[in-house]
Amino acid sequence: MPGNRLLPIVAVVLFIAVLCVGGLFWWRLRAAPPATSPTQQPSAAGQRLNEPLVITLSVPVDGLLAAIQAPVTRQPDTQSLAREALAALFADPTGSKAPVLKDLRLRGVYLDAVGTGYIDLAPVEQREVRASVWEELIALYAMVNTLSQNFEEIKQVRFLVDGREVQTLAGHIELSRKFTKRMDLVKQ
Amino acid sequence: MRKHFILLSIPFLLLALCPDAMSSEKGLAIKNVRFFSYAAFTRIVFELDAAAPYVVMKSDNGRSVTLSAYNGPLSVTASMPAVRDGVVKTVELRQESSRTTIVVLLDAAAGEVKDFVLRGPDRIVLDIMKGAVPAPVAQAESRKLIVLDPGHGGSKDVGIVTAQGQEKAMTLEIAEAIKLHLRKKNSDFIVTLTRERDQMLSLDDRAGAANAAGAMLFVSIHAASGAGTRVYIVDPDEGSLAAAPAANKTFLDFDSATEQQERVWGSQQASHTKASGELGRRLALSLGMSGGEPVQAPLAGLKAIDAAAVIVEVGMGQDRSWVAEAVAEGIASYVRENR
Repeated sequence: MPGNRLLPIVAVVLFIAVLCVGGLFWWRLRAAPPATSPTQQPSAAGQRLNEPLVITLSVPVDGLLAAIQAPVTRQPDTQSLAREALAALFADPTGSKAPVLKDLRLRGVYLDAVGTGYIDLAPVEQREVRASVWEELIALYAMVNTLSQNFEEIKQVRFLVDGREVQTLAGHIELSRKFTKRMDLVKQ
Repeated sequence: MRKHFILLSIPFLLLALCPDAMSSEKGLAIKNVRFFSYAAFTRIVFELDAAAPYVVMKSDNGRSVTLSAYNGPLSVTASMPAVRDGVVKTVELRQESSRTTIVVLLDAAAGEVKDFVLRGPDRIVLDIMKGAVPAPVAQAESRKLIVLDPGHGGSKDVGIVTAQGQEKAMTLEIAEAIKLHLRKKNSDFIVTLTRERDQMLSLDDRAGAANAAGAMLFVSIHAASGAGTRVYIVDPDEGSLAAAPAANKTFLDFDSATEQQERVWGSQQASHTKASGELGRRLALSLGMSGGEPVQAPLAGLKAIDAAAVIVEVGMGQDRSWVAEAVAEGIASYVRENR
């Protein structure tokens, strides 16, 4: 008789235990990564990362901007790739000798959530940047156009020098504003 | 009864904001002094290390204003600016026995003086209103006042350097030549230069001087290597965006007026876009620029100019006397059409 009275309690405990085990099993199944072939996907991604990406640089040539193609190393995100693009502009044989650009080095490129790219520059060996109005304008838009033409996410560009906002680079062009690409400065 | 007219002797509000000030007698520590020349007044801003009580007094003859600490010493780590905008001559640091004061020397156009404090960061602000110059005469003269601005200057800002020399010297030489040509063309023209010697001036100094003088037009001279000439005006897109604060010019009270005026600084050029374009086209034509259109750019040196304003960039290899004559002809042509 006492055995008969315990039977429903045991049944309920067993039922709860089965529910718990089942729930745990289901939760682990959901948390686990999808079942994929471990040999195929990572190797494809790795292969793609090793291929260079060809981008368009806006390089100052004879007082205007000229579009030239340059290979850069693929990067996992837009910010790193934007930095690669500008590094390629500064390393380009023509760009590296252009007025203003030759006196500057790239400290960093940052993107914010609303599509603004921040180009952080520094003078090379603390040298004063000396340039005409036109040279300053062309150098700034070389950087602006290089970013705007290659990255849809970058809607406008702002400049920093040594991490801070400054009034101008060489005394002429206002840097406390957002820049968007200008095609009238590009050689046709 | 009082020898001095005390404008606002002790702003006790500051004592309430800064409870330490009364007990510790720390005095007043000024770390920077800036000034802004507006059409109606000149503002001098004293940036403080921390809020503290101060005293502002105007002299008997009304030609100077003295700022001193109410409690303790006045310490100043900033350099004092030479304003010279017709309202304020200079700001000087004076040491008399053991007392340090800052003296603002007022010029002929100075009128009423007001002071107030701003927080975050702590500042004492002096606004010196224009009052002494008879307005009709000033306006009549400003109709033809031409301000020429030789770019760069001083030992730290020489501009570009080529085999033909330094940009700062060339711009001064050309500006002086333009002035002579303009005087020959019309004796009614009043032509002034923002600098007449090798002197360093900030872009705001130049704009402040032109605005305070009531310039009709402003031509800044710069140089580039080579033999071409370019004329620049402020990018109108930038101007129209910056013009927004200027629209509200009906001020209800003093503080809101001055605060709004401060926000307007740097957007003055927005309301002269059309005039600057016209002046630019006249100059481009007289200089023989292909296309006859000025280049639009975000120009730091023109954005605060409250008049038609352009930059003329002259090739270092060009005939300077020819350029000066062509610029003078372009300016004269614009003034004739826009009197």
